[in-house]
Amino acid sequence: MSLPKNEDFGFIGIVIALILVFFYFILGISGAMSALGIMLFFTVPSYIILGNFDLSHEEKIVFAFFIGVGIFPSIVYWLGMFISFKIAIFITFVLLVAAGFTAKSFRHR
Amino acid sequence: MKIKKSHVETIIFLVVYLFAVYMWTLPFQKNRTPYGEFDAISHWELADYIAETDKTFIDLPPFIDYSYGGQNSFRPHTLWYPPPFHTDLAIISSFAPERVVPVYLTNAVFATAILVSLFFVVRSLYGFLPAILSSFLLSFSMRDIMPYLWGQWPERFGYAFIPLILYCFYFYYTTYSKEDSKPHYLYIMGILLAVQMMVHPLSFFHSMVGLLVLGTFLFIKNRKIPLNFRHIGIALVLFIFLLSIFPYQTGNVIKSFMEKSSKKHDYPSVSRLFHWAPEPKDFVGSVPASYFSFSDMHGMWTLPFLLIGIAVLIIRRENRDLFLLAWLVSLYLILHRDFIEKYFFLHRSLSASAHIFVPITAIGILSIPSFLVFLKKYQNILKYIGAAVFVFLVLSYNAPAAYSILSSAYDSPIIRLVPAQMEASEWIKQNVPEDMNVSVMGPPWDGMGQMVYWISSYSLRISLPFEGFLTWKKYKDKPEIARYHLLNDYVMFDYSQIGMLQDRRFVDQWLAFEQQYMGNHTLLYNKNNIRVYKYEPS
Repeated sequence: MSLPKNEDFGFIGIVIALILVFFYFILGISGAMSALGIMLFFTVPSYIILGNFDLSHEEKIVFAFFIGVGIFPSIVYWLGMFISFKIAIFITFVLLVAAGFTAKSFRHR
Repeated sequence: MKIKKSHVETIIFLVVYLFAVYMWTLPFQKNRTPYGEFDAISHWELADYIAETDKTFIDLPPFIDYSYGGQNSFRPHTLWYPPPFHTDLAIISSFAPERVVPVYLTNAVFATAILVSLFFVVRSLYGFLPAILSSFLLSFSMRDIMPYLWGQWPERFGYAFIPLILYCFYFYYTTYSKEDSKPHYLYIMGILLAVQMMVHPLSFFHSMVGLLVLGTFLFIKNRKIPLNFRHIGIALVLFIFLLSIFPYQTGNVIKSFMEKSSKKHDYPSVSRLFHWAPEPKDFVGSVPASYFSFSDMHGMWTLPFLLIGIAVLIIRRENRDLFLLAWLVSLYLILHRDFIEKYFFLHRSLSASAHIFVPITAIGILSIPSFLVFLKKYQNILKYIGAAVFVFLVLSYNAPAAYSILSSAYDSPIIRLVPAQMEASEWIKQNVPEDMNVSVMGPPWDGMGQMVYWISSYSLRISLPFEGFLTWKKYKDKPEIARYHLLNDYVMFDYSQIGMLQDRRFVDQWLAFEQQYMGNHTLLYNKNNIRVYKYEPS
């Protein structure tokens, strides 16, 4: 697995900040929060999981988003039938991030 | 931090992408009220209901069931699409403030996701320049913008998966050998196919045809079949597992695919094999004729470069060229599926044409310097001149038309909800039981009919045009339905929009009706030229 280098994290941080500022200017706080939500829920958990595979950095980001928009809401939808939808979002996020890190620790053993 | 070439390329792509998003969000940047045709209403309400009620559902809520209860032919009264797309919108709507912007912005990001997937794939295969030119031209693609505005939301997003699915298969195939392989590309392909099916089945079938053609092309050239049952088996298990998460909706997709069209269609003439687009005359009333025009949708200037690009790919026939050719051929096959009597949504597949025309057009213009052998040492400079010409033509021909349609889309106050209607709808949501009908009197069915459905959508309650069972005698053959409504309905008199019309006929008609019939009934809401009564039969 190839982890992003520290300088890449710095660059990714700048890109994310630019995106959030852009959406804030065109659609206000609602736009910025929506953009943050899209990145946070649909990309971050599956990005961590895909970190366990031999993929390039760009592949991980793109695949993470396109997989995330299917996997994340599927879990949320089922949980949302039994508990509050908002809580289901939170639990799904924690579950998927934990799954990604757990898989990573298993690979390192 | 050291600035790398990849950083600069990422920033350039980001500028192009954000500019596209800026353009595509123009319809709701200033006026933050919902808009769109009936398709848009259905997508909006599925997402908004989940976010507003903080719960998901198996059986459709009454106000959605009224219109769409029969859409799922496998299990009626349940969702007809698999839930992920609308749940995505609902998740962002729950996370971000406001009701309208999060749903519409998430949809805009999804609709423009093809810029991301196309850039990523073309960059991997051909480098940065063709990739950025492709995304740039695609930002102004009228074939994408028009269905996006009409409300074909999931379908727009579904098409963004096609290049990625083909990419995964391509990398699995081209890197495969008995000693070494990269099976994770096949696993990711299985997952992406399942997610694409959940987003929109039409684009999934397009991908399947694309995989078949790409596999055939690569086999003919490379003479190898990457037949590893373990890899294929795992990809298949992932695919089937994901589709089994929502069995009713998967069942609906399978059942709908197997069903024969109930509408009588003429078998297409052989001459259609020589045309890309279906016949515009077959879609009069649902899609404007310009949608079928290459010139109006892509710009005639792209045609020579597109043809040069196709010629270059056919002559060169590298694996990466076969990738684009297979995608192109699969589009042709999908657009001619009426020859095997699959007519459903035929015209909608045309909306995927720019996605493959655009990269081939970019490759076409960037290939021209390679023909000028006498200028070999200036090839690089000529390439950049070609790119500059490309950008100039896009800005001159494609950008103005796209900007014009996006900046003026739904900008009339009589075709989208006005704040008074939204406020009244919020009141209805708080004060009217969920299974109650609210009959809306005001917006005439012809021309403003969708307003009643928008009010229904925003109030999360069934709303019928009251005229339906009184003035129009819509239910004269079903008196029990009319009677049920007359005995139970809430009645909304909405003058907020018809008051803006030059024609005072509607206002006068409903004012007279209200004075004559509503005097004995309880007035519950009276604000901004909207009144809501509880109809009490005497």
